[in-house]
Amino acid sequence: MNLVGTLYVTALAGCAVAALAALTAPARARLPLTGWCTAVAGAVGAAAGVAALSGGVSAGVSAGVSPGGPAGGSGPSWSAWLPDLLPLAGVRLAIDPLGGVFVAVTGLVTVCAAIYGIGYCAHGLDGRLFQAVLPLFVAALLLVPAAASVSTFLLTWELMAVTSLLLVLAEHRRRAEVGRAGLWYAVMTHLGLVAILAGLVAFAAGAAGESFAELRAAELPPGAATVVFLATAAGFASKAGIVPLHVWLPRAHPEAPSHVSALMSAAMVNLGAYGIIRVGLDLLGGGPAWWWLLVLAAGALSALYGILQAAVTSDLKRLLGYSTTENLGLVLVGVGAAGFFAVSDLPVPAALALAAALLHVVNHAAFKTVLFLSAGSVLHATGTRDLDALGGLRTRLPYTTAVFAVGALCASALPPGNAFVSEWLLLQSLIHALPGAGVAGAVTMPLAVGVIALSAGLAVATFVKAFGVGFLARPRSAEAEAARESPPPMLAAMTFAAVGCVVLALAPTLVVPALGRAVGVVFPGRDVVSGELTLRLAGVSGMISPLLIAAALVIAVVAVLGLVRLTAARRARRAARLWDCGAGPMSARMEYTATSFAEPLQRVFDDVLAPESDVDVTPMKESAYLVERVRFQARVPDRIEHRLYDPLIAAAAAVGNRARALATGSVHRYLGYGFWALTGALLVLVALW
Amino acid sequence: MWRKIVRTGRVAEPAPERPDGEVPEQAAELAGSVQIRHVDAGSCNGCEVEIASAFGPVYDAERYGARLVASPRHADALMVTGPVTRNMEMALRRTHDAVSEPRLVIALGDCARDCGVFAGAYGVAGAVRDVVDVDVEVPGCPPRPEAIVAALRGLTGR
Ligand code: SF4
Repeated sequence: MNLVGTLYVTALAGCAVAALAALTAPARARLPLTGWCTAVAGAVGAAAGVAALSGGVSAGVSAGVSPGGPAGGSGPSWSAWLPDLLPLAGVRLAIDPLGGVFVAVTGLVTVCAAIYGIGYCAHGLDGRLFQAVLPLFVAALLLVPAAASVSTFLLTWELMAVTSLLLVLAEHRRRAEVGRAGLWYAVMTHLGLVAILAGLVAFAAGAAGESFAELRAAELPPGAATVVFLATAAGFASKAGIVPLHVWLPRAHPEAPSHVSALMSAAMVNLGAYGIIRVGLDLLGGGPAWWWLLVLAAGALSALYGILQAAVTSDLKRLLGYSTTENLGLVLVGVGAAGFFAVSDLPVPAALALAAALLHVVNHAAFKTVLFLSAGSVLHATGTRDLDALGGLRTRLPYTTAVFAVGALCASALPPGNAFVSEWLLLQSLIHALPGAGVAGAVTMPLAVGVIALSAGLAVATFVKAFGVGFLARPRSAEAEAARESPPPMLAAMTFAAVGCVVLALAPTLVVPALGRAVGVVFPGRDVVSGELTLRLAGVSGMISPLLIAAALVIAVVAVLGLVRLTAARRARRAARLWDCGAGPMSARMEYTATSFAEPLQRVFDDVLAPESDVDVTPMKESAYLVERVRFQARVPDRIEHRLYDPLIAAAAAVGNRARALATGSVHRYLGYGFWALTGALLVLVALW
Repeated sequence: MWRKIVRTGRVAEPAPERPDGEVPEQAAELAGSVQIRHVDAGSCNGCEVEIASAFGPVYDAERYGARLVASPRHADALMVTGPVTRNMEMALRRTHDAVSEPRLVIALGDCARDCGVFAGAYGVAGAVRDVVDVDVEVPGCPPRPEAIVAALRGLTGR
């Protein structure tokens, strides 16, 4: 086995050890033991991913356990075929640079989440089952991007779905909401699985076999290819939280324990994007332009809808969940643009767009880890996620506040944050494609640029709200007043993630060339960028130097502060009372809440959001003109859920109710059903064949 | 709207002669631009109506450099109307404190000057000068807009 293989297998073994430790260790040692084992496994997994990335495509040695690795120069860095592990098909694994990106991201997120979990789980989440499932979930996350055959892929995908479902349900005894969120998640993820299963099985049926190498070589008729693409894309989009299949995401993310949310939001949803890249671009090798315009449109819609919902929600973790929808939407804009450019014979922007999408995956993983972990810290300290009830955490949770500020800056796509770099790359690819992209491109690309710009603007408003209302000013509830800083493992994990964000923001040049190698898996033979301090785009003019931007910002701030010091305030200063409209004293009730901050936005986007409000006036007994109580209630429901899912669920429930008459409890009847169904199936088969 | 503007034309009165008299020393520092915060310390709203017309299109006090602002933090001068009621006494003091220096106080209307018809009422704490230092007084119940504009021109010096 080569380096990648050794590291990768060690990481999987580490996850197994962690799960075993969780099951067998005594209660007191369980948390640290499992946490550290998982963290080490994550670190080793990240190293394997990085090794796969830096190894390069052509230098990869096929060191399979048996002769399963494909021959030729573009083979994966490591591959293995274990024919006896599963009946019929065996397990086929291979890590190429594209999978390596996702393995590395998962590994790094795992390090943070596992260390964080040591502190976070101390109250009530230290049970055997929960602690054992977490490493299994990590193992599944590491396995999916390495799966190299349909059966292996589906198996690991389902393993990931089931383990994450168990983790989401961890706190179902404490809140009824959790159960409902779990139900949504279970149904959505399994419908997605069915779609992917149908698509991949159809694909394998049309190919010579079920390994990815054989799928890659297969020539599907266009109709079949379209069916395969649409089915798999729908399944992957539901995992990635893409509108309109996103409904599970803003429910499951808030209700899961925070480090699980981080893992799900920063590592798991990425695999939806991975699936679309792998199946659409790699295995199917492109396809007609409209596939990719569809992906692009879905991505753009998700970006806008996600961030709009995030902007008006006042639940901190729900906000972060919707922001995940937004960012995965942006990733899909990149993927769709890459596919579209590849079809329209624009290899340079295609590679650039895909690199931008992958960079955004990495960046999003970094800042979403930071944000979910610090949101968990807030939840740990105050017991509430409601921004309207928070505030004043700056003095009480100084570390958490600082870390959240880093994450919020990065998430709002402003320089010197890391999302700025990837969105800039994405915009560059869209703009540079314009001359040659034809009519469809000339119409779509400016729209896509507009969508990215609008979502970036809304993201700023969203995170100003989350940070300003949640952490600054005065506490708006007794819980926020009594908040205490979280234990050291949580702070350490958050700081580690924040450092990762800063590195990505200042030195993307460390990462992007490696991502170029991952792009090479799909679009071979092209460097995307060059440069050490400055990111220089290859093939088109354009460069950016985040380090210099950051330095210039620091210099500008210092200069402005110095000038103000020098020129202003020549008069003697007078200490005056804080202006409180003359009515004082100031109270927390005078502050902006998350709801009031978002109200103007809500009014602007009234037609899209369709907020509901109702006023309930209770008059006094003596007279209808005297009012005893006025109750005002406003909420912004998820409109897509309202319009699309509620009727569906109602219809399903109606059919179920109607069908009750069929199930009378009589065994004879049931046997009869079985008999008739079998005969019917046989008759149909006879008639058709 | 354009049609409305054209049809209405100019309604402002021609600017009368500037009233004689020196600009107070503090106001001179403001160099002809006075930002004013209005405080209703307990007025009957008669004075407010006249202030509104003084700043309306006909008398248009803004052309002389006076302007109403929304916060004492933005203001150079306070324009206080009505007798100072007990509820508003502390608020007036605080508003006065909130104005940056140099600051001016205009007591507008007979009530602000000496409690007017409300003198001796149980809710009245006193005239404006009993609570804060007053620089300019405008008599009248309510004062005519011309008188208000003239007093403001005395401050802006325009
Ligand atoms: S001066 Fe006259 S108009 Fe002004 S507040 Fe007093 S009573 Fe009202």
